[in-house]
Amino acid sequence: MKKSEVKKKKYGMVIDLRRCIGCHSCSVACKAENRVPIGVYRSWVKMIEKGRYPNVTRHFLPNLCNQCEHPPCVINCPVQATWKREDGIVIIDEHRCIGCKYCLASCPYNARYINPLIPIVQKCYFCYHRVQAGLDPACVEVCPARARIFGDLNNPEEEVSKLISKHPFQVLKPEMGTFPKVYYIAADLDAMDPFAGREEWT
Amino acid sequence: MDVNIIYNVEHEMPLGIPIATYFYLTGLSAGSFIISTMAYGFGMVKFKPLGKIGVVMATCLLMIAPMILLIDLEQPLRFWHLIFYLRITSPITWGTFLLSLYPMNCMVYGYFMFKGDMKKTKIFGLIGIPLALLVHGYTGFILALGKARVLWNTAIMPPIFLVSAMVSGLALMILVVIIKDFILQRGKEPNRDLIYALGKFLVASIALDLILIGMDLSVLLTSTTEAYRVALMLLNGPFSFLFLGVELMAGAVIPLLLFLSPFTKRWIPAYAVASVLVMIGIFAMRCIMVIGGLTLPLS
Repeated sequence: MKKSEVKKKKYGMVIDLRRCIGCHSCSVACKAENRVPIGVYRSWVKMIEKGRYPNVTRHFLPNLCNQCEHPPCVINCPVQATWKREDGIVIIDEHRCIGCKYCLASCPYNARYINPLIPIVQKCYFCYHRVQAGLDPACVEVCPARARIFGDLNNPEEEVSKLISKHPFQVLKPEMGTFPKVYYIAADLDAMDPFAGREEWT
Repeated sequence: MDVNIIYNVEHEMPLGIPIATYFYLTGLSAGSFIISTMAYGFGMVKFKPLGKIGVVMATCLLMIAPMILLIDLEQPLRFWHLIFYLRITSPITWGTFLLSLYPMNCMVYGYFMFKGDMKKTKIFGLIGIPLALLVHGYTGFILALGKARVLWNTAIMPPIFLVSAMVSGLALMILVVIIKDFILQRGKEPNRDLIYALGKFLVASIALDLILIGMDLSVLLTSTTEAYRVALMLLNGPFSFLFLGVELMAGAVIPLLLFLSPFTKRWIPAYAVASVLVMIGIFAMRCIMVIGGLTLPLS
């Protein structure tokens, strides 16, 4: 790696599901921090139960914008209202968005929503306003089990880089070629499968 | 293994009937424009009576269609952003230009046609054909490049949209001729040959459409698990009535029987019924594509 590339930041998040207790604090913190209206979510935790008594387990899957390396929403936005910053965060210019909803249709993670109060597309942007001020995103800050870890993936000394170097990890829908920057440690395949547990689809 | 979802967030469907209607109207417009140019661009004299009415229909339909798109925007007053801020990779940006060039060309073409300047009519007719194909082909691209949705993300989407545009355009033209010759101008000698010729074209396009649908389905059934599930959704799920009953049965098989069976082959009411059924079937196809594609859960 060249020296100039080392200096460049690339933000990412590791969600260590061995630690997650399914308390939904991240969802609540996100709602409060970003004033997300009722009915829409930037961050939510999917919960599944699997197995048959006595061998039953519960698994969690916190969902948020994956800040893809190759984001389909950016490729498809017709007015350049959304783009990927140099540090890898995908952000939206709310004054330019025309609300055509094509990005909602092309996001493989359902991360985007229309704000019902001001009809604009919004999504998680790793609490960029907090990151600018040197803080962690709200969901990371509030996680009581420290299951969410945020940091610079280009810095080998950061905890995120250490975690994904040392542990086997998963990303959501790798077949989409989006190269997400939200990494899951010990995520359950049935929790990651959108169809598992939906009787009408199996 | 038993898997139960304890908690998950369901998301609202971003696009719906307005977008399906928009696809339907652009399809009708492109189809009627191409039929209009058959006489004036390619010199098929049989279709001459359709030249003028075809271009009027094409222009009117393509004026309504972008209005529906505007209404569907969350911020309709910012529509001008589409012209000033471009993203060349987005099919909607291509559409911005196609949807403005194509009606303009339609108007110029129609103007020269009504003035009787055949040479210029031919030139603008021939310019219009690629534009008409692109205007409808790009709507197929809008779906094909939405890569999150497995029903959309196939290379067959643009051709299937083009062929179904021809199908609905021909059906519309048959209806227009029937209304014009048999209802509005009863005293005149009706132009049966024209209807029969259009019927032949329609049979060929429906057959091509069925072939493309068959190709699409067979690939979906043998591709990834998601694709398999979406194929099952069409064949044996919430959309099976709309797909098998309306799109395939009412929109393709029954019209084919009406056009080909020896009892109804020369019977004008059968043509009218078949054309109405075809148009309903194509509208069902647009709805299945837009809404069915978005029904698939992503998280």
